[in-house]
Amino acid sequence: MPFLSVQNLYLYYRTRRGLVKAVDDVSFDMERGTTLALVGESGCGKTSTASAILRTLPRNVGRHEGRVLLDETDLMGLGDEEFRKKIRWRTISIVFQGAMNALSPTSQVGDQVAEPLRVHLDLEKEEAAAQAEATLQRVGLPEYIANRYPHELSGGMKQRVVIAMALVMKPKMVILDEPTSALDVMTQANIINLLKELQEREFLSYLFITHDLGLASELADQLGIMYAGNLVELGPATELYEAPQHPYTRALMNSVPRLRGGQAPESIPGTPPDLIEPPAGCRFHPRCPHAFEPCGWTAPELAEELRSQRTLEAAGLPAIKEVTVRDDQHLVVELAEAPKELASLGPLSRFVDGQKRSSPVYRGIKDLALDGGNVVATLHEPEVPGPVGSSHKASCWLLTRGA
Amino acid sequence: MPAPPPSVGIKEAFREAIRTKSGLAGGIMLAALIAMVVIVPIMAPYSIVKRWGDGQQWLDNPRYAAPVWSEWFTSKELPESAIFEPNDFRKIRINTTQFNLTFVSLRRSFTYTADVFPSELAMWAWATYGTGSTPSVIVTWIRPDGQEVEILNEGPQVRAPTPNTYPFSSTGQMSRSAQAIYNWALSFNATSLAPANSTTPWLYVKPEVTLFAVAGESMLDFRRAEVLKGEYAIRVELLGFTPEDDLDAKFIVYGTIFGLAGTDNTRRDLLIGLLWGAPVALAFGVIASFVIVVIQAVLGAISGWYGGWMDEILQRMADFLLIIPLLPILIIIALFYEVGIVQILAVLIVLGFVGSTTKVIRSLVLQIREEQYIEAALSYGAGRVRILFKHIMPRIMPYTFALIALSVPAYIFLEASLSFLGLGDPVLPTWGSLIGNAYSDGALFHGYWWWIVMPAGGILFATVAFSLLGYAFDKVLNPRLREE
Repeated sequence: MPFLSVQNLYLYYRTRRGLVKAVDDVSFDMERGTTLALVGESGCGKTSTASAILRTLPRNVGRHEGRVLLDETDLMGLGDEEFRKKIRWRTISIVFQGAMNALSPTSQVGDQVAEPLRVHLDLEKEEAAAQAEATLQRVGLPEYIANRYPHELSGGMKQRVVIAMALVMKPKMVILDEPTSALDVMTQANIINLLKELQEREFLSYLFITHDLGLASELADQLGIMYAGNLVELGPATELYEAPQHPYTRALMNSVPRLRGGQAPESIPGTPPDLIEPPAGCRFHPRCPHAFEPCGWTAPELAEELRSQRTLEAAGLPAIKEVTVRDDQHLVVELAEAPKELASLGPLSRFVDGQKRSSPVYRGIKDLALDGGNVVATLHEPEVPGPVGSSHKASCWLLTRGA
Repeated sequence: MPAPPPSVGIKEAFREAIRTKSGLAGGIMLAALIAMVVIVPIMAPYSIVKRWGDGQQWLDNPRYAAPVWSEWFTSKELPESAIFEPNDFRKIRINTTQFNLTFVSLRRSFTYTADVFPSELAMWAWATYGTGSTPSVIVTWIRPDGQEVEILNEGPQVRAPTPNTYPFSSTGQMSRSAQAIYNWALSFNATSLAPANSTTPWLYVKPEVTLFAVAGESMLDFRRAEVLKGEYAIRVELLGFTPEDDLDAKFIVYGTIFGLAGTDNTRRDLLIGLLWGAPVALAFGVIASFVIVVIQAVLGAISGWYGGWMDEILQRMADFLLIIPLLPILIIIALFYEVGIVQILAVLIVLGFVGSTTKVIRSLVLQIREEQYIEAALSYGAGRVRILFKHIMPRIMPYTFALIALSVPAYIFLEASLSFLGLGDPVLPTWGSLIGNAYSDGALFHGYWWWIVMPAGGILFATVAFSLLGYAFDKVLNPRLREE
């Protein structure tokens, strides 16, 4: 049994526009004493995954399901009070992003580090303070820091205090939510070294959430890549860095500037999708350079492409008068010159085939038919590829079909 | 996103506030008030104030006397009261055993140099006499011009230790004295102020004027009479018929100026009222403001922190209490029940447990609760109550402090308004009740300016002190007003 096993985890938020599918069917396992880094763009659901595990949920939760097994305890089965008493800080703690604001400005840091002890163990003030001081020393801070207020500390010191706060109850696992994002590079390196040291000394497990692939490489044993609420690739860090499988992972790796080598960083075209109505099929398909026929193309996407299309005329074909979406899989195109028979679709089919090479959206077209004077385009059913591979999994048709 | 409220400690806020000009001025004024509060019980013990409404306590004071320093603003010398206690009289007592007669003579001379007439004359006489014949008491007024006027010749009404009172200036009560003075004045062809057909023209005599006036035609007319300066004397004599007969007297020539703050219609020393107004106003304002603002702030924090139905209920109650008119309600309560200052305070607290501070603090807490350390505290399992007291309350404390300072003036004014209307504390003198008394006695119409100006000045001084302090706090704590 793995130390932490997350299976089919969902976390949706209710908003006025609809459900935000922040975490959608995420599954992963991790072993004791290792680090799993979750990497992805802002808003891809990394922090929500941590929230779903630690149940630090906002009020507008729409769906919170799945199985989270920690040391063979089903966390989702625990009541809120039980979870608070047994799991929070005793087993899992969290280091929040933005250490600058994670400390209350009005109390001394020693008090704040001691707070979880007072809350959970009901310790006397002196005893809690003594343990807090010891913990501050564990993270490499002198004990007199305990009597300081947060505004008297530097960013790196504050971050250490926040880490001390997470470690004060000696948890087995720590969720690190962008623990170094507000710090300069030197301090980042210091903190990462501290985290490594602590992991070795105290056999900690880390769920490390970051948007920084480089930083993740410092700490991660396993790497998980998230995109639009999905975990698209998961595997041992070394393998994943050397041979990324998913097109998104590859694009992400190419977007990182390198000190050596002539390769310029590349951006990923398009914008991250709206999580209220995420793209059908593979959520990355609209931005994917590889996208296959069943990756999830829908009639509205094709309609948008056709409406902005002028190349039809350039190819000597009749201009498009109107494009109507019939349903997700069917599109009706009214041409300026209505084709009279099936044979006249020939040039059109050839044009579409030609476009498939450069614009992936045309690959979604399964076939063309005549209906009255209009052309009806039928699209492939979206199919989401399941994760492929055993220790190194990725969810992409690329892996099953080959490039 | 709005800027989160700046986090400043109370001490720090106070230090910074004192550094601003208005804060310094407010602080000094407040310190002066506090010094006054400390000194007052020493200067005027509570036992005196308790009898504030007791007319007997103030008999030695002149009525409607201006403060002594008002003399600086006139070119005239104004008289202070001259009080002659029994010991101040030169006493001669002669006992003739042959006829069993007793003769007592009391004499006191004094110099009158003021440019205006005294305000009143009064005498008290303690007579001891046997059960047989009643002795006679004769009072003779001896003037610098050699004139002697017998202003009293009658038997005493009561035996010592109860004094016989002779309020010479109340001519209705002392009509025989008035008659004697009137007749004496007529011998100088004085013109009476009485209407020609009056059967009792002596009731128009002002003994304190005529007895001190230059003899002549104008001596009965207080508007035209001139002061005769020089050595006056009063002689009080008793002729008794037993060896035990005795007489002691006290005589007061009431002046027109008194003390640092003057007197009112019932001869009360306004200085005592003014001094005691400070602790009353300060205590009422500070306690009301402190209790109400703290309760409102705590409920505001609860409202913002817990949200939901609790928020809804507290905010709607605050809306309700904000629109109900406080003063009319207090007036109605004060009309139906005998309320002291403590009861008024209680009603204020009950009707003000939620209000504007609830709303201000709620809006601050709505910002604070989104901060990361609150989320962190929730995630390590701290209870909501613990977070409220450990993390949220310390953040709103300095604002609460500023709000307390800013709302003190409102409560001082409220108490003054109630006292002015006569609905305040029935025993304690307050600035508001002093102004109220002055108003009902027509002080402004009669020109008793000190009676109004000084308590009003007290109210102004106290409210300005707190306002200045409050503004200074506001400057330190309000992010938009922070001076760079």
